[in-house]
Amino acid sequence: MRILVTEDEPRLLRSLAKALREEGYAVDTADTGDEGLFKAQNYPYDAIVLDIMLPGIDGWRILERLRKEKATPVLMLTARDAGPDRVRGLDLGADDYLVKPFDLPELLARLRALIRRAAGVAQPVIELGGIAIDTRSRTVAHAGKPVTLTAREYSILEYLALHKGQVVSRSELYEHLLDDSDDTLSNLVDVHVFGIRKKLGHSLIATRRGQGYSIE
Amino acid sequence: MICVLAGFGIAVFRLQQVTRFRQVDGELEIRVSALNAALREAYLEQGPPNAGGLPEDAGFRGPPPDHGPPDGRGFDKGKARDGRGPEGRGRRGPPPQPKKPGGLRFTADAAALFGNRPGDYYFVAWYRDGSVLQRSPAAPADLTRPEISDRDTLPHYLTRGSFREVVHCAGMGDCVLAGRSVETDLSAARNFAWTLLAAGGAILGLGLGLGFWFTSRAIRPIETISAAASRISHGNLSERVEGAGSGDELDNLAEVLNSTFARLESAFARQRQFTADAAHELRTPLAVIISETQTTLARERSAAEYRETVEACLDTAQQMRRLTESLLELARFDANEDRPRMSVDVAETARLCVERIRPLAAQHGIRVETELAPAHAFINVDRLSQVVTNLLTNGIYYNHPDGTVRVVTRTEQDRAAIAISDTGIGIAAADLPHIFDRFYRVDKARSRAEGHTGLGLAISKAIVEGEGGSIGVESVPGAGSTFTVRLPLR
Repeated sequence: MRILVTEDEPRLLRSLAKALREEGYAVDTADTGDEGLFKAQNYPYDAIVLDIMLPGIDGWRILERLRKEKATPVLMLTARDAGPDRVRGLDLGADDYLVKPFDLPELLARLRALIRRAAGVAQPVIELGGIAIDTRSRTVAHAGKPVTLTAREYSILEYLALHKGQVVSRSELYEHLLDDSDDTLSNLVDVHVFGIRKKLGHSLIATRRGQGYSIE
Repeated sequence: MICVLAGFGIAVFRLQQVTRFRQVDGELEIRVSALNAALREAYLEQGPPNAGGLPEDAGFRGPPPDHGPPDGRGFDKGKARDGRGPEGRGRRGPPPQPKKPGGLRFTADAAALFGNRPGDYYFVAWYRDGSVLQRSPAAPADLTRPEISDRDTLPHYLTRGSFREVVHCAGMGDCVLAGRSVETDLSAARNFAWTLLAAGGAILGLGLGLGFWFTSRAIRPIETISAAASRISHGNLSERVEGAGSGDELDNLAEVLNSTFARLESAFARQRQFTADAAHELRTPLAVIISETQTTLARERSAAEYRETVEACLDTAQQMRRLTESLLELARFDANEDRPRMSVDVAETARLCVERIRPLAAQHGIRVETELAPAHAFINVDRLSQVVTNLLTNGIYYNHPDGTVRVVTRTEQDRAAIAISDTGIGIAAADLPHIFDRFYRVDKARSRAEGHTGLGLAISKAIVEGEGGSIGVESVPGAGSTFTVRLPLR
């Protein structure tokens, strides 16, 4: 899952990015409105954390302009907590709202919920035959027994599971699982898929030659 | 108003009544004199024996129609005495009784004065023994000879029921009476009274109505104003009084109130904005501290990582401390706290501030130049130092390495001026109008990271204006800015 964090306070941006990366997300950051808008418009994020008070274009306008072309889930993050502000944010197309100062676990939970809902999945635990993927704790169990996956492996599995029945191309996986600071070789996805198959069985992920992967 | 109307109505009514009766009386007097003439004619026709006295008298006694009663009376009295005198002197003993005439002799004109129908003028003539000499058919049947003494030769005006009569008796007791039913006059008077009453009522009603209308028209703007004021006092500050647009005093009042409300509203809006900004500024560092610590505590870290987190938290806490101090300071200025002022040499204060700031300047590689001409201002010296230090600090922070900060003091006409220039990054024209706004920062990320609260210039402006001075800025982006503070000499 790839997330954009737009925040002008450098320390907060840094610690948010750090926390999200440790949660297994690919994280891009922007500290001005213009950069945030550019990235939001040009990369396929799974969610955007958007501060309202930004230098340059403010959060409201980013949201307004983004909603004209994309439905990326947006979590507004701001120190403004007046009722009308919240209403305005939600009416402009924000999917959720958090007031600073916030609790990090709550922010992470809301982001998970946003990403799940955007994929059309309501349950936090995704069941695939005998395999249970718990998106809350980022753990996988096979026939009731926990299976240890690397963070990347888990991310690929979760992405494919959330897009069950769809063919997901390698480039899509790259776009959603790697942030702009990652510098990895293209065959790494294949390596991670190989690792998942080894741990959870060969039939779970099907390879569509020339198109990508899918979970049926 | 009711009293005035009633008084006026009664006066009009009385006047009308009196005029009417005068008119009737005048008519009756004409007839009485005609009757007298007719009586004299009757005596003359009868023969001479005694006709001398009476007809002559009667002739004199018919009051001329034009004369008013007082004149006629005086005239009659004199004549009566004169007339009776010779008679009394001439004929001692009982006066000879003239023969009772058969009837009055009217001329055609005189006869036309009386009518036969009820309501017409009627007459009765009594002979001196009390018997009726002649009566007109229209005379009421119950009419008897009024009790008037023989000597009374004045015309008497009587009102008997609905009849108005004038009686005149000649000296010998012959009396003539002319009368008329005033029934129609009375009913006309009654009608007139009703008309007056109705008119009075109408005027009263109209007056009350118009009065009410005018008053409510006059009061309406006041009510509008008070309603608007009460809505405003209930918190709807964007409410305005609607002027009538009539350009009168109330319109002026509405305008004055509106401008007051507008100032209040903008003051409240500024206060609200300030509170929101202050909350934002305090929440952001709080968010940093919470997010830093929660991220760090999520798993085991190396000592270096913990150290980094603790340092970040300390920095952020220091930033919050500076911010709360600045906020408190601003709140104190807003409360208009007064401090003692005295005549201060601005140059001396600037010199002290520059000495104190030199270590910081050296740390940033900035040179501080001074050109201090003595200039005395009437100001609180601590506050002046604070402003100068603020501006010097800004000059150092927003400067290029190896840049210069230049401090100039001088006297300009009635002001003491301090100009602090830097050779720094300058301020874009779009930012210039906002540079003194609270929390306004041209480069938020950079200034916050360096610990600036965005309140320094706002505080400086509050101080300078609180001391009766002014602060201004000129800037060339990329070349530097000059802040100039002007203070009152006295």
